[in-house]
This record gives sequence, structure tokens and C-alpha cells, in this order.
Amino acid sequence: MTSLIGQTPDMRRRRAAETRFQWYGRGAIFASLAFLAFMLWSIISGGLGAFFTTDLMLEVDLGVQNIDPENPAAANYRAIWRDAMKEHFPEVTTRKELRALYGMLGADAEYELEAHVMADPAIAGRKVKLPFRASDEVDMLLKGNIDRASPEDGRPMTDQEIAWVDHFAAAGDIERRFAWSFFTNGDSREPELAGILAALAGSFLTMLVCFCVSFPVAILAAIYLEEFAPKNRLSDLIEVNINNLAAVPSIVFGLLGLYMFLNTFGLPRSSPLAGGLVLSLMTLPTIIIAARASLRAVPPSIREAALGLGATPVQATFHHVAPLALPGILTGTIVGMAQALGETAPLLMIGMVAFIVDVPDSILEPATALPVQIFLWADAPQRAFVEKTSAAIIVLLIFLIIMNLAAILLRRRFEKRF
Amino acid sequence: MAGTREPVIVARDVNVHYADKQALFKIALDIPEKEVTSLIGPSGCGKSTFLRCINRMNDLVDSARFEGQITIAGQNIYAPDVDVVALRREVGMVFQKPNPFPKSVYDNVAYGPKIHGLAQSKADLDGLVQWSLEKAGLWDEVRDRLNEPALGLSGGQQQRLCIARTIAVKPKVVLMDEPCSALDPVATARIEDLIDELRQNFSIVIVTHSMQQASRVSQLTAFFHLGKLVEAGRTKNIFTSPQDERTQNYITGRIG
Amino acid sequence: MIAAGTQTCASDKTDAINLADTKRNRTFETLVMVALASCSMVAILVTAGIVLSLLFEALRFFERVGIEKFLFGLKWSPQTALRADQVAAEGAFGVIPLVTGTLLISFIAMCVAVPLGLLSAVYLSEYAGKTFRDWIKPMLEILAGIPTVVYGFFAALVVAPMLRAGGEQAGLNISSESALAAGIVMGVMIIPLISSLGSDVINAVPQSLRDASLGLGATPAETIRKVILPAAAPGISGAILLGVSRAIGETMIVVMAAGLAANLTANPLEAVTTITAQIVALLTGDQEFDSAKTLSAFALGLLLFAVTLCLNVLALRIVRKYREEYD
Repeated sequence: MTSLIGQTPDMRRRRAAETRFQWYGRGAIFASLAFLAFMLWSIISGGLGAFFTTDLMLEVDLGVQNIDPENPAAANYRAIWRDAMKEHFPEVTTRKELRALYGMLGADAEYELEAHVMADPAIAGRKVKLPFRASDEVDMLLKGNIDRASPEDGRPMTDQEIAWVDHFAAAGDIERRFAWSFFTNGDSREPELAGILAALAGSFLTMLVCFCVSFPVAILAAIYLEEFAPKNRLSDLIEVNINNLAAVPSIVFGLLGLYMFLNTFGLPRSSPLAGGLVLSLMTLPTIIIAARASLRAVPPSIREAALGLGATPVQATFHHVAPLALPGILTGTIVGMAQALGETAPLLMIGMVAFIVDVPDSILEPATALPVQIFLWADAPQRAFVEKTSAAIIVLLIFLIIMNLAAILLRRRFEKRF
Repeated sequence: MAGTREPVIVARDVNVHYADKQALFKIALDIPEKEVTSLIGPSGCGKSTFLRCINRMNDLVDSARFEGQITIAGQNIYAPDVDVVALRREVGMVFQKPNPFPKSVYDNVAYGPKIHGLAQSKADLDGLVQWSLEKAGLWDEVRDRLNEPALGLSGGQQQRLCIARTIAVKPKVVLMDEPCSALDPVATARIEDLIDELRQNFSIVIVTHSMQQASRVSQLTAFFHLGKLVEAGRTKNIFTSPQDERTQNYITGRIG
Repeated sequence: MIAAGTQTCASDKTDAINLADTKRNRTFETLVMVALASCSMVAILVTAGIVLSLLFEALRFFERVGIEKFLFGLKWSPQTALRADQVAAEGAFGVIPLVTGTLLISFIAMCVAVPLGLLSAVYLSEYAGKTFRDWIKPMLEILAGIPTVVYGFFAALVVAPMLRAGGEQAGLNISSESALAAGIVMGVMIIPLISSLGSDVINAVPQSLRDASLGLGATPAETIRKVILPAAAPGISGAILLGVSRAIGETMIVVMAAGLAANLTANPLEAVTTITAQIVALLTGDQEFDSAKTLSAFALGLLLFAVTLCLNVLALRIVRKYREEYD
């Protein structure tokens, strides 16, 4: 008999092949997870900045010659802050330079000033130093996203503008604060004003429609197929259809929505109603499949017990089987809704790519959704929108993580019931 | 054990645990060369566990823990530098249910020689496949369908194919774990004849549920009960004059 | 069926009258049943709706632009007026450059997804311990849960510039909308699909085959390569087909990272466009209702639906057959 220690060259070669093969497997897993980590890291590190905004402190003259204390709303706030800027940089005189100077502050500086005065009317009549939102370029420069060393015509800010920013910095007149406006504003052409509120509201309304349509229909369909459907051609056909629909590209559902819901039924374009309906059609197969698996897991003894007590099959199902299957069905529903929340392509087809500033009041008004907002911002030219896009992605991912965690917890909690 | 020949397998102080449960207690057994040894006993008595220790198939069970010593031809198979792959080449195994690979008859038999590099040429390999199938008494039935899928054979043929596949690497020991339990009586009889013939070339250890089978095919018998080796000896002695009361009870059908 | 309405037994009526009571319940039950059945019919209605809406609009398109011009034309240039020099008298609607672009990107994606996905699946089901698997599997599944718009953003803003910079170092001119960037990122997106379907398939291979091979003295790697993977081959090919179908239908990654230039090329470093990217381009923004340009999107949709449907049906059939074989 040969040695069992396997010192032959042949055995060594085979052992090396074994080790190599295992390392291929580890390498594949590592590569996949490394990609995931890199992607999340680059989005998070690129997006966190958008949750903070830069303020420039500027001394404005709110004397009686500028503001009538009796009627502060009538004041020309634009002139007030522009004068203050001019006073701050007396050497700036030409119109072109002045325009650049005024561009240092955000596009809504006069409304900010007015809000300050309305919030604290006592400041009227004095000279006070107030914070103003900086423009997106100033913000980008201070966050290090604009390379000072690059040639002047290759960057969005001139040397002179950079010098003004440095002047504020030297005087300690620059402040960072949490960008509440990112959550309270709608979309805007000006990056420093753009926020995700309208998109969040649009997503919420769309999800609401999607849930209200797909959840009941999917549960009833699953109950029928699992508990009552006769084994015939029709149920086979339904089964095949459900499995195939789960794999149809999402954009095809968008085309269906465009033709059926918009062009044929005349639903309002860009509305959460149309968007929610399209997404519900996509979500249906996911929920049906999960719900059927969950119904199947209810032991037949429960059914038999109910039927044995004289309950009708419908009663047995709705009183006993369906409640027991509910946690599983909810888990499937949450997973399906999470998919729908991240879905973009079908919403593009039904026109939810509109530029939406205001929060939609109803499911019939034009709206956009968070993933679509991400798509729109990703395409915008200003550097500041890259940061906004990443930040919007972070918000979207947080919602998805919460939903999936809820699904996992629900599953853990109820999994060992039978 | 009162073996007439040299023992090829020597087990001493073998304890096996599955997680918290001990499955084998201090087993000591000698298994002689070129004879058939059968391991009998009621279900769960540890006979299959012991069999699977001999080629370390138990290593595949995560929770299994082995203590003690088993030597084959003087080499401790649980020594740290032993390669299980080299071991299993020397100790082949036939399983309860026929488990041919979903490949052709030829490829099933050629698989072992190929991975171990036993054949130098195609002609060598052909010869080895033919030799194995002849030894397994299957050659005449499959010579014209070597390239057909093995799953097309009958259950008995599949099991003989698995035996041919095992002996194709010319192991020293062949382990059989209830090889006939999934077969009908006719196929069983053929396998039993085959085992008797294979004894010329190989040392065989067979786990069986059937006492008739043990008495028909084996020269030695070891009786396991509740994880302990109760009694071992020449088969005819065990069946005619068992020393232990538990063996007596099992053979006469009082425990089982 | 067991008689309904047994709760009323406690009343002072006789059993015979109670049996008559069941009539009302039966109507109710029938109604419930009709409601349930019609909900399940929604699945068929949706499929029918997809087929009809795509077919109607596509047929109207084929009336204007011949079907053979669409299927075999080598030039795709609808009057998208993206570039002034593209405005021809009537656009060209040859789908071949879109098909080759789609296939090129899908091919790159599968080159990433199949080896990584399968090797991960093999390692997780054959080698990994339980703890490792319990941690790593959900992490891989995160890849499947990330919305495609996020992948698209990452492909366009991180991967494509990285490839371009890397290409410059190596002296290659890689387009900033190269098929490579979109394909690689799409491949990563498909990894979890291949690895989870692959795991299912590998786990379905009976343990007895592993025992037989290991019992003959094969190493685990030899067992996997020569016994398990061949035995699992049909199921794995089903999984790969589903992956291809996903790649062909994927929209956001290509819209954001692959661009709209309909080049007829097999060079992964160049920009190509895909069927899905063109559908989005044709139907977003200002569109004239009823124009050949708008209708052509539905013809593309029909093509996409037909191809993915065939792949899905084939894949599901293969996988089901495979499962039956080992049940």
C-alpha cells in the first residue's frame, strides 16, 4: 500500500489545485463585496457634504431709511443685502464685477433677509450681522470640491471670487450648518436651494397608490391560487403568467402604463396615480409569489381543524389560514414595495421626470419620485448637484435599509411558528 | 478477534461524538485481510458510524468528533499528516442507495482512475474499465452501452456499477454500507455472489441489517449495540454460539 | 363541500330549516370566489395588456416604416434632434446597432457576473461554514437590493472616469460612455442573481453524488468540477439565461452610463447604445404624439419583450425540469 501522507508529486499538485480553487471562491466573494463597499463608500463620502451648507455672515444696515418699522414687508430687501455687499467690498465697481459679487450669495438672499426680519422685528432699525446662504460655487470651494490650483478658466470660480471668499474666511465670517433646506425644499435650478421634499412626497404618494392596489389584489389572487383554484389549464396559465411577469423588464411596464393608463384611460400624465398603478403591476407578481409560499407553509391540519368544526372553506381560509400566513405575506409585501421605491425606468415612461418644485397636493397632480430626482440631478451640469445626488441616494438607501430590516425582523419573529 | 489472517485494519479506543451525543464507545476491532467482515446490530447502534470512520467520511459531518486510533496496514489514518484523499483511494466505499454520477457508464468507472492518474493511455483506461466491470459482473450486460447514461441502468446494475467504480482504483479495502437495502431479492443475490468473489482481491467490510446476509457473505461478524462493540468473531461462531446475552437476543429477534 | 351556516344550529329552528339557510351563504361564497378568481386573472390581464399595447403601437409604426427596414436596418437615427447634423428628411430606424450594443453590454455584464456569481455560489454552498455563510449571503444580497439608478450614477460618475483615466495611462482611448463601464457595473448588479440561483441549483445536487466522489478519493475541488457542476449544468444554464434576460432589459444603468450614440461596433471601449436606452430617449422630454419616432419606442419595446419572454420561459422551463429530476 502506498503512503497515506500523500507526498507524491501528483498528490501535491492535486492539493495545490484544491487550495487554488478555494481561493478562487474567496476571491469572487471578496471582489463582489469590495465593489459594494467601494460603491457605498464613494456615494457616502461624496454625499455627506450635502447635508451641510455654508453661510456667509454679512453686516446689513436695517436702519429706518431702509426698513419702515411699521411696515417691514414693504422694504426692498434685495437692495439692502446688495448694498451691504458693496459696502463690504468697496473696491468693486464695474457692473460685471458686481454681478459676480452678488452671485456669492444664494439666489434667495432677499427672502432669507426678510425671514430674519420677520422672525425678529426688533433688529429693524439697527446694523446687524446676519447669516446668508452662500452660493453653490462658494460652498463647493469651501468643501474642497473646486481645485484652486487649476487654471482660472478651467474652474467655475475666478481668482477674484476666490479672493472674496478668502476675505470672508479671514474675518471668521463663514459658518457651517445642517442643511435643513435639503429636506424642506423642492427641486430648484439653483443647487444651493434644491431639496428632496417634493420628490419624497411624490414617492410617498406613488407608494401609497401602489400599496393600495397591489396588496389586496395580490393577497386575494394568492389565496385563490393556493386554496381554491382547480388544477386546470387556466390556473396553469395564470401560474406561468405570474412567473414570467416577475422577470419582464421594468421599462416594458412603463410602456404599458403610457399606452393604457395615459393614452387610453386618460389618467393625468406625471401623476402619482399613474406611477403607482404602473408600479403596482410590477409589484403584484412579487407579492403573489411570496404570499403563496407563506400560505403553503400553513400546515394542512389548521385547515382540517376549521373544516372539521363545520366552517366553510371560505371561512377556514379567511379566519384561520390567511391570518397565520399574514406575517409572511407582509414580509413579501415590504420587499416588493422596497423594489418599487427604487424603481425608475417605468416612471420615466409616464412622464414623472418633470421639474417639480412644489409638494404635490393629490395623487392627480404632477409629481416626481426620489429615484427619478436622483436621475435628474445626476444629469445636471453643476458640480454641486453631484453632491446632492449622492445625498439623495443616501436618503433612498436609508429608506430601503429600514424597509428590508423591517422585513427581516418580521420574518425572524414569526418564522418558527409551526 | 480470532482472525486467521493478518489484520489489515486495527481499531483501538475509538470514541465518536456527534455534538453532545456520544455515538461510539471505546471500540476495539481487528479486521483481517481478504475476508469479508460484517457489522451488524440494531438501527442507531453505531455500525455505520464506525464504517465511515474507516475512510474518514465522518470528517464531512461538521459536528462529528473522533478520538482513538485506527491503523490500516500499520499507518494511523487519523495522524495529522494523513491526506484523506490518499486514504480514500486506499479505502473505497459503496453506499446504501446506488449513486452513479449522471454520466455515461464508462465515465463513471473511469472517474476514479482519471483523478488519481492511474492510466497512462486511453488503452490502459479502457482495459481498467473493462477489468472493473468484469470483476463487478457487469461487463456482459453493458459492453454495448458503455456510452449510455448510467442512470438508464436498473437499480441492481447501478449498484454493481458503483462497485466497479470503487474497485477501479484498486483500493486495499472496500467498505459497503448496506449495499443491498435498496434492491430486490434477485439483485441482492447477485451482489452477494459478487462480494464473495471480490474477497480474493480485496478486504471487505459490510454493514448490513440482515442477519441472513451477514451469515451468507461474511467470514467474520461484529455485533454493535448502543454504540458499543458487544462481540466479534468468526461468523459461524457468532451465529451458533454467541457469548453475550445481547447478541443472543438480537440474533433470535428479541432486540432489533 | 361542507354545508355553510352551522353556527345557526343553536337557534330554535330545526335542522331542515337550517339547511335551507345555506342558500344565502352560498351566494356570498360564490361572490367571494368570483372576486378571488378575478384578482388572480389580473396576471393574465397584465400580460395581455402588455402584448396588446406594444403590438398596436408597433403595428402602426410598421405601417410607416417597413418591418424589414426596422429589423435589418444598419442605421439608427430617429429625428431626436440631439445633434443638428442628424436631422435627416426622415429618420433611420434600423435596429441592428441597438441590438449589437445591447448584446455587447450584456456580454460584458455576463463576463463579470457568471464567474463571480458561480464561484461565490460554489464557495458558499460547498466550503463556507455556517457562520460565514450567514453573514456573507445577506451582504451579497444587498447588491440585489440597490436600485439600478444608483448603479447608473456610480457607473457614469465613478467607474467610467476611472476607466477613462486608466485607459489614458495605458494609451487607450476609452470613451466616457463606453460599453465597458456600463457592462461591468451591470455585471456586478447581476452577481447576486447568479449566485443565489446557482446556490439553489448546487444544493439540489444530491449528497450521495458528493459522497460517491469523495469516497473514491477525489478532492472537494475535483468533486465540484467533475461531478457537481456537470450534474448542475442544466440548472446553471437556466440561471445564466435569467441573468442575460435581466441584462438585456436593464435600463437605468445604460441610460446613465452608455449614452445614445448608435454605433455599430464590437469594441467595448467605444460608446454604444441599447434598446432600453433608446426607448427612454424617445419617450422622455418633448414628444410629438403619433410620430414615427414615438411609435418606434413601442416597436423596440415589443422586440425587448419578445426576446426577454423567450429567455425567461426557456430558463424557467429548464430550471423546473432540473428540479424534477432530483426531487
